[in-house]
This record gives sequence, C-alpha cells and structure tokens, in this order.
Amino acid sequence: MKAVQNLFKTYWQVLGVVGLVIIGFSIFGYARTQVQAASSRIKVVFWHEMKGPGQQQLNEFIAAFNKSQSKYEVVPQFQGSYNAVIQKVMNTHGTSASPAVFQSMDISTSQMYHSGYTVPVQKFIDRDHYDIDQIASVARGVATRNGKLLAMPFNTSQTTLFYNAGLFKKYGIKPLPVSPSYSDISRVSQQLYQKSNHQIKGMSVEAYSWLFEQFLSNANEEFANQHDGHTGISTKVNFTGPVALESMKWLQGRAKAGDLMNYGDAKNETAAFLSGKLGLFMQSSADTSLLIKGLGKNLGVTYYPHPDGVKPNGISVGGASLWIANDKSAAVQEGAWEFTKFLVNAQNQAKWEKATGYLAINTHSAKEPVLKKLYAQYPMTKVPGDQLRSAQANYTNSGIFIDGVIAARALIENAMQQIYAGKDVYQSLKTAENSYNKVLKSTNRANGRG
Amino acid sequence: MLESLPSTKPQQPTNHHPFTKQSTTTKVASFELRKNDKYYAWLFLGPSLLLLGVFVFYPMLRTFYLSLFLTNNFGQPTVFVGVQNYLNLLKSAPYLASLRATVTYVVGVAVLTLVLGLLLAAMANQKLRGIGFFRTIFTATMGVSVSVSAIFWLFMFNPTTGVLNQIVMFFGGQPIAWLTKPGWAMVAVIVTSVWMHLGFTFLLFFGALQSVPKSLYDAADVGGASAWYQFWHITLPMISPTMFFVGVVTLISAFKSFGLIDLMTAGGPTDATNLLVYRIYKDAFMNGNYAQASTESIILAVIIAVITLVQFKLLAKRVTY
Repeated sequence: MKAVQNLFKTYWQVLGVVGLVIIGFSIFGYARTQVQAASSRIKVVFWHEMKGPGQQQLNEFIAAFNKSQSKYEVVPQFQGSYNAVIQKVMNTHGTSASPAVFQSMDISTSQMYHSGYTVPVQKFIDRDHYDIDQIASVARGVATRNGKLLAMPFNTSQTTLFYNAGLFKKYGIKPLPVSPSYSDISRVSQQLYQKSNHQIKGMSVEAYSWLFEQFLSNANEEFANQHDGHTGISTKVNFTGPVALESMKWLQGRAKAGDLMNYGDAKNETAAFLSGKLGLFMQSSADTSLLIKGLGKNLGVTYYPHPDGVKPNGISVGGASLWIANDKSAAVQEGAWEFTKFLVNAQNQAKWEKATGYLAINTHSAKEPVLKKLYAQYPMTKVPGDQLRSAQANYTNSGIFIDGVIAARALIENAMQQIYAGKDVYQSLKTAENSYNKVLKSTNRANGRG
Repeated sequence: MLESLPSTKPQQPTNHHPFTKQSTTTKVASFELRKNDKYYAWLFLGPSLLLLGVFVFYPMLRTFYLSLFLTNNFGQPTVFVGVQNYLNLLKSAPYLASLRATVTYVVGVAVLTLVLGLLLAAMANQKLRGIGFFRTIFTATMGVSVSVSAIFWLFMFNPTTGVLNQIVMFFGGQPIAWLTKPGWAMVAVIVTSVWMHLGFTFLLFFGALQSVPKSLYDAADVGGASAWYQFWHITLPMISPTMFFVGVVTLISAFKSFGLIDLMTAGGPTDATNLLVYRIYKDAFMNGNYAQASTESIILAVIIAVITLVQFKLLAKRVTY
C-alpha cells in the first residue's frame, strides 16, 4: 500500500513539474510578445528565397530601408526554395506565422491570384499614382491578369546561353552569333569536343523544365490551351508540339554524339564550366555575376537559342515577384508597399543587377553609374537585358498561368532525363503530357472549375 | 505509428499483479485496489493517450479521411472520390516504380548494413594491439549528421572532381555518372545510407559479441569444433536478439530515409530514387496535392505494418532469447 501511495506521490509530482514548466514558458512567451509590442516600429515580415550573392545584397537593402525611416522594420526570413514557399504561404495564411510580404516565383502567379490571399499591388499604384511605366513592361507581363498588376516583379531573370570564349579562342572556334540557332550551337559544341580530343564537353542543357518551356516560348509554341492560361482556365497541355519534339531530338542527338553531357544538376554543371571542362551551357541570367568572377572577360553570353529558320519570339521572364498579403493590418500592408517601392527604385535595381545578374526592371536603372560602369567593363553583361528588351510580349512569352505548374515541371524533367538516357523522345514527352493532363483535370475539379 | 507497432506483439499473460503483490497482507486493501484499478489505469494512461490522440491518432484518421477526397489549392477536401485515389495510384506506373525503388533500397540497405556491421564487429572483437583505435573509428559515423554525410558523399560522387571517379579513371575506366544515371544513383544512395547506419549497427553487434560468455567457446574448443562451426552454433544464436533488433530498426529507418534522398538526388534521376516517403513529401509540400499524399501515406503505413508483423511472427520463433 505504501508503494502505491509513493507511486501516486511521484505521479502528481511529475504532473506538477510539467505544469509548472508549461506555465513558465507561457509567461516567458507572453513577456516576449509584450516586449516586441513595446517597440514603436511596425514589423513587416518578409519571406524570401534568395541565396548567395542575392541574399547578401537583399540583406543590405533591408538594412538600408530600416535605416532610412523609423516607422517600419522589415524582418527578413529565408524560406528555402521557390517550390516550397507556395505551400508555406497557403498553410500559414491568417496565422501569426504568415508574412506581410513575400517573394514568389513566376509560375506561382496563377495560384496566388486564385488564392485570394494577396492585395494586388495595382491598388497601391492607382492610389499613389505611382509611375508604373518605369518598370519594364515584359517583366510586368508575368504578374499581370486582366490588365492589373498582381505583384511587383523584383528579381527578374531570363534563360541565357553562356560560353567559355577563352576555350573557343584556344581551339580556333568561331564565336556564336548573338541570337544562335540550334545548328549554330551544334557546330561549336561538336568542334570543341573534337578539337580537345574529347577532353572538353561541348555543351550541357540541364534537365530543367524552365529551359524546355523557353524552347517553346522562343518559337511561339503554346504550352497549354487557352493561350497558356492567359485567356481562361487551361484544360490541356501540349508537350509534343513540333518545337518540343525538335528541341528535344536535337539535345538527344548531341548526347548520343557525346559532346553533350548531362551533369545532373546546375551545381555540377557550373563547376565543370568554371573549371574549363565544358564549352557552353544554358541557365538563368542570374548566374552572370558568379560566372564573371570565375571567367572574367572570357565569359561569352548570347540570347537563348531558337530553331533553325524560325524567327525568335523572345522568352518569358523568370525569377520572382513581391506579393503583399491581405491578412495583415492596413498599417503593415502600407509598410510592405513602401518596402516594395524601395526595392524596385532605379538605384537599387541597378545595384541588384550588378550584384546578382538579375535584370534591372526599372528602366531608369541603365542611367545609374553602377550599371554604366559594369557594361563598360564587361560588355557581355548587357546581353540578357537586350534580350529582354528586344522581345515583344505575347501569350507564349508571358509565363504560364496555370495552378500547380510545379507538378508539370517534375514530369517534364523526368522526360528530359529519359531522353538523355536514350529513350524515345515522343514517348517520353507524351507520357509526361498524359500524366499532367490527368493532374490538371483533377486540380480543376477539386477547385470547382469544371 | 511505427514505434507503437511492436506493442502489437502478444503479451505474455502475467500472473502477478504489480499492486496486489505488495499488499497481500491486508485483504481489504487488496480489494479496494482491484475496485479502483480502472481509475488508476485511466489516471496513468490518460496523459499519454491524450498526447497520442492529438499527435498520432487524429492525424492518422484525418489522413485517411483526406485520402478519400480530392483536395483544392488550400488542401481542403472538396470532391468525394471514394477509393479512386487508391485505384489511380496502384495503376500509376511512376508510383509502382517508386514502390520497386523503395524495396530495392530498403532491402539493399538492411542486408548490407547487417552483414557489414557484423563483419566489422567480428573483426573488432579480436584481441589485437591498437584494436581500440579501430573500435572508435568504426563507430565514428554515429556522430555524423545526415546533412554532413550527404554533402561529404556528394563530393566523392562528383562526376568531374570526385575522388571515386579519380580512382575509376586511374584504373583506366570511364568516369561514372554516379548521381545522374538511374542505376548508379540507387547504388550511390544505398552506399551512403549503409555507411551512415554502420556505426550504430557495429556498436550493437560489438556489444552483443562481447557479452557472449567465453566459457562456451572454451567448451567448444575442448570439443574440437572449428571456428566456422562455433560462429554458426554459438555466436549467431547468442546474438540473435540483437540481429533481430538491428534488422527491424534498420529496415524501418531505411523506409523513413528522407534527408539523405533530399540532399543527394531529390528523388531523381527519372524518379529512380524517388522513395515512397520522399514522394509523399513532394506531393504534399511541392505539388500541394494533399489528397494524393494522404493516400500514399496510408499505403506506406499499411506496408510497414504488414512487414513488421511478418517480421515479428516469423523471426520471433527463430530468435533465442
């Protein structure tokens, strides 16, 4: 009996201690929120997905913004990848964990629009008579619905072709034209591979859906019906059009010939390029500053390739925009808008392009001394911006307005891997197309869109 | 869920009651206690039932519920589809490929870890000069986190600068695309996973070997039994509980491999290493398809439950406790 009593005593003691700990933490937590509330500045939580030089520069911007005024305090929170942030926003909206302003990528535009979780920046633009024409129109295209700007483009990039001009010179290969066709690229890739005795790979195109999408854009081929979703709800995708097949057959041919190497991911690819073992590759213009650090004036940059005999249509912008969430107080939203304007002003966008390779979207930025100096020193850094400006926006080069494009990307990337492994091009793409059509059907059904 | 499974093992009926045993002196007290047993049971089980209910049972039921619907962009169930999600999945080629990949991975990791762990333990069990150094080295991987070992092996597997391909090329071979060829990628993640599990397995086996009474071997020596015979008939039976334990733990841990896959291959190339757990993560938190992710979770839970039950039923008979 005594033992039982002792056991009880222990039981209540343990329970008591646990209770005390919980109460203690609550008091601590409450006290902390009180301290935070006591600070006179309005907190604006900002979610971003920038790493490396982008993150560094972004933190500098935030520090400068916080110093420039005393009303708001922007608190940056790194959220990992573009892919993950969409679900994080969906799952935290309306809670204290959600951001006041967040960075979300090009292909999430449709989902953010349909969620109803954000305030279109057009509201602030109209109210303040903000001069939106200073922001490049092609960059705005990807975040626009029915003529209204939903989010402010911030880090805008385009797919670009990079080549090692030093290697080309060494092996006596004629440089690429500024807007190369598929066969132009085949030529230099083959030559480099042959002339280096197979020691240097000619080219690499990562199995990355963004690159596939831009092959279509640049030849004015639709990715999905309803003009890539810009005029209604897409119900079918098209991965087996003539350009899709031509571009993938071209890449498979190069892989079979041996001059194209599939490095598996961008890190390995970049490492090979910087160590002089790879002649050319295609990636985001945002890599420019990193590549210049490695190759200096030996870096070559051209527009994204187009099929032979086809006039290039221009490509969609990639990168991400700034969205202002509607679950915070008006004062916080105001702070988010002030911060957004700060990030896209001419001076900051110029610094941004210099630091990262993302393209300055403010048309006045080119007049800033920072960029003038950069273009004078490294003329090739101007190429991606020229590509952006030379394109006339239309449905096929203004991004894809479909919910859940991430799933399509995964399927396309699988197809590309299979194509590199030597499987039939049509079959691989058709499988991806069929799978995604099923996903699209059930997504539309689940969201009550027929 | 996984951890609670072992309790499904049939309990041995116990004759003594922990409380009554103490209080046989007074009949009244004993009676009181029996009457109040229910009260005590709830009192003691209550807190853990509450926690399990909130954090295990409710999410499980909710997951099952979601698996019967289509979910919209906010993850809310909107269209009831019954078992259609299950049928779709079981007919889907990529999902079946994931299932096959998972089996390959789990079996590969479990078998290699057991064999290599035992081998290392047997070697470290020898009485040699400086063996303490090796015993420490063999357990070293226990202190290495998933992210560190993934990054460390990523360097070794790098196609251009990695040490493994340097070795291959030194012997005149063609560089291997470790993480970009489907077959090799599976090899790469299995190797890394085995390497990670090895320290813990070694430690357990080593402990088990050390605790086998020396007198048994002495007796066998006197009887003239060979070393091989001694291993099969003394060592293995004596460490069989440990083998059983290590087997179950490694198998379940392999099923749950996530960080390693995420960091090394992210499920690629061509879904070759897109194991079931990783697929669930991608479907839920990348694609936002919570219905499909829930369906996959339920199927995985059933698979693990079945395997664990079979293991307990089959292996428990052969284990000498």
